[in-house]
Amino acid sequence: MALLGKLQIRWSLIPAIAACGAMLLVLSGLAIGVYDEQTYRAQKVREATAQGEILAATVTAALAFDDRPAAQEYVEALRVNSQVVSAGIYNQDGALVADYARDRGGHADPTVALHPPAFVGRHLLVVTPVAEAGQRLGLVAVRIDTDPIARRLSRYVGLGLLLFMALLVVGVLAAAHAVLTRTNNDLADANRNLQDEMHERERAESALRQSQRMEAMGQLTGGVAHDFNNILMIASSGLDLMERTDKPERRKLLIDGMRQAVERGASLTRQLLAFSRRTSLRPEVIDLAAQLEGMRLLLDRSLGEDISVALDLPPGLWRVKVDPSEFELAVLNLAVNARDAMPGGGAITIGGENRPIGSDAALPGDHVALRITDTGSGMTPEILSRVFEPFFTTKAVGKGTGLGLSQVYGFSRASGGDVRIESEVGLGSTIFLLLPRTEEALPLATPELSPVTRPPGAQGDVLLVEDDEGVATLVSGMLTELGYNVTRVDCAAGALAALEANPAFDIVFSDLVMPGEMDGIALAREIGRLWPSLPVLLTTGFSPGVAAAAEEGLTLLTKPYGIGALAAALDGARPG
Amino acid sequence: MLWVLRMLGAAVLSVSTGAAACAAGSLEAPVKATYLYKLVPFVEWPAATFASPTQPVVLCLLGGDPFGAVLDQAVRGQKIGARAIVVHRLARAEKAAGCHVLYLPAPRAPAAAEALQSAHGAPVLTVTDQADGAGGIVNFVLRDNRVRFTINSRAAAENGLTISSKLLNLALDSRAGR
Ligand SMILES: Nc1ncnc2c1ncn2[C@@H]1O[C@H](COP(=O)(O)OP(=O)(O)OP(=O)(O)O)[C@@H](O)[C@H]1O
Ligand SMILES: [Mg+2]
Repeated sequence: MALLGKLQIRWSLIPAIAACGAMLLVLSGLAIGVYDEQTYRAQKVREATAQGEILAATVTAALAFDDRPAAQEYVEALRVNSQVVSAGIYNQDGALVADYARDRGGHADPTVALHPPAFVGRHLLVVTPVAEAGQRLGLVAVRIDTDPIARRLSRYVGLGLLLFMALLVVGVLAAAHAVLTRTNNDLADANRNLQDEMHERERAESALRQSQRMEAMGQLTGGVAHDFNNILMIASSGLDLMERTDKPERRKLLIDGMRQAVERGASLTRQLLAFSRRTSLRPEVIDLAAQLEGMRLLLDRSLGEDISVALDLPPGLWRVKVDPSEFELAVLNLAVNARDAMPGGGAITIGGENRPIGSDAALPGDHVALRITDTGSGMTPEILSRVFEPFFTTKAVGKGTGLGLSQVYGFSRASGGDVRIESEVGLGSTIFLLLPRTEEALPLATPELSPVTRPPGAQGDVLLVEDDEGVATLVSGMLTELGYNVTRVDCAAGALAALEANPAFDIVFSDLVMPGEMDGIALAREIGRLWPSLPVLLTTGFSPGVAAAAEEGLTLLTKPYGIGALAAALDGARPG
Repeated sequence: MLWVLRMLGAAVLSVSTGAAACAAGSLEAPVKATYLYKLVPFVEWPAATFASPTQPVVLCLLGGDPFGAVLDQAVRGQKIGARAIVVHRLARAEKAAGCHVLYLPAPRAPAAAEALQSAHGAPVLTVTDQADGAGGIVNFVLRDNRVRFTINSRAAAENGLTISSKLLNLALDSRAGR
């Protein structure tokens, strides 16, 4: 991170460095140019001065003795130097004695004065005194050509070109850097956006899944109410009938019927609770046949009257290790899809078979293939190619969310399995849910202990904390049956008061959710503080309480329970 | 303009040639007068001739004075290096001992001939108007109406004098072929 920061700083310095480099290049280019020009001029001055001095030295005698032809000859000798534009020899009076001009018709300057070398336009004019042994005899003036500006500039073309290229490179580098930085930023932005979108989508997906569950819940509610009414019906009529008969066989029949009804109710609520769980549970080893059998009621209620579900599972299906609630949701989703494909009603068959290793290229080992077959509309290849896409649906708005098969696919892949679809338009579809086999054993089911009737009060004294009058009466009956003396209070405060008055109870059996300031957990905590040796057994039918109680290390009995489970739980909670 | 002046000068000179050589009013005399001292920088005397760098150069006239005051005016203020130029007008040849330049307007005159004779081998630059071999080292000649000269470099060498090539180049005999 620090390295990245440093790099960032260095990276941001690049434009400044590039600009400095470009400036340096330009400056050094100019300096070289100026220096070159100066050396060129100095060299020209040297050349011209030498030319003038040579001429001055040779014409001394000619000037001294006014020998114009000789002077002319000398000055004409400058012809060999093509740089000399013109030259003049002047006597002591300043009069022109002889002159030479390179160009036809040209003339030397008619008069000159002694002065340092001077650049006049394109020319360099050098005036040199003529003297012999200190005797001043006159002047010579030499005018020489400097290179035309174009020629001189052409000397700098190479340098200029180099400079230009360097600047170009610097420019291109700077531009590239700018573009790169921009792209970098864009990329970072895009990435951020993508991440945001992904989070957004995840949230939406989970919300949708939840709402889908709620929808299914809604569908279920009607069925559940109906079922519960049936159960209550059996129970109440059973009780009525029992009051009117003393025949033990008849009573046994009634009791069995009522117990079955209660068990059905219990399984129904378990289903509902499992279904409404928000967080996914850990995978468990399950027996598919038993699991599906357990879903029968749920399926019946979810699919409606005109859809029949047939379970066609061979015995000896391999065990699988999956998240049971996700599994049930997947089956439910498949069943609902099948129902939707058969608007006029029909039959859904849930079958299964063991498939040994090698039967499916995508799966590396033994697996179980569960299939859900309908006789519905079927799917065209176009639809088939998209059904696993989240939110893909062909159903009307409000009817389908397009998440059903996504959940099925996600669940199967997360479980190490896969999904296959065979479908034909007009004939129906079969969806295969492939789940890998597990060698692990099923968890041991806690055996329901048969209640042992004990003499009244032999087990000791129990303080029952229960607000519901009906439940309290029933549970009191069960506890008495088990040989306990029961004292009942209806809230936590009452329980504490009763214990104040008489702390000699053997166990406290309390509901978890109660009216009043204290719930079962708080009560257990308070009892643990005041009477540490007094055991507390809690009970609840509400799933979040289970986790809370487990966190506190409290013993908990889940509702609904039978008398055997109650006896076992009480025994387990008491020390010894 | 120059051309007109030259024509003018030529006319004057042609008139004067027929007249006496001593005609002071003509252009020929002042030209020769300046040439006399202008010869000096181009001539190198033996090292022993001068006692000091400032010792003046002695310009002697023997056997007549065609210049008069013109010569004195011409040399006045002139310096050859650090040396001034002094003009001596000699009456007799014996007096020529201290001369560096000896001008003999009439070399065939007995005194002049004697002086030329005695100057032979001495570090004296003899100048005459006689270019026929009987003259001195430098001899003025009129050519194309201008005063030119010949140089007898053998005689110069015999007198121990070194004459600058620049001067030799201007001499009529050295440029005869041109
Ligand atoms: N058994 C089937 N028979 C025919 N078409 C089916 C079947 N199962 C799925 N499809 C098609 O696949 C599409 C996607 O199904 P998916 O379960 O993912 O979403 P959905 O059923 O439309 O909505 P929901 O989220 O409520 O399940 C359906 O809209 C339907 O067109
Ligand atoms: Mg669906």
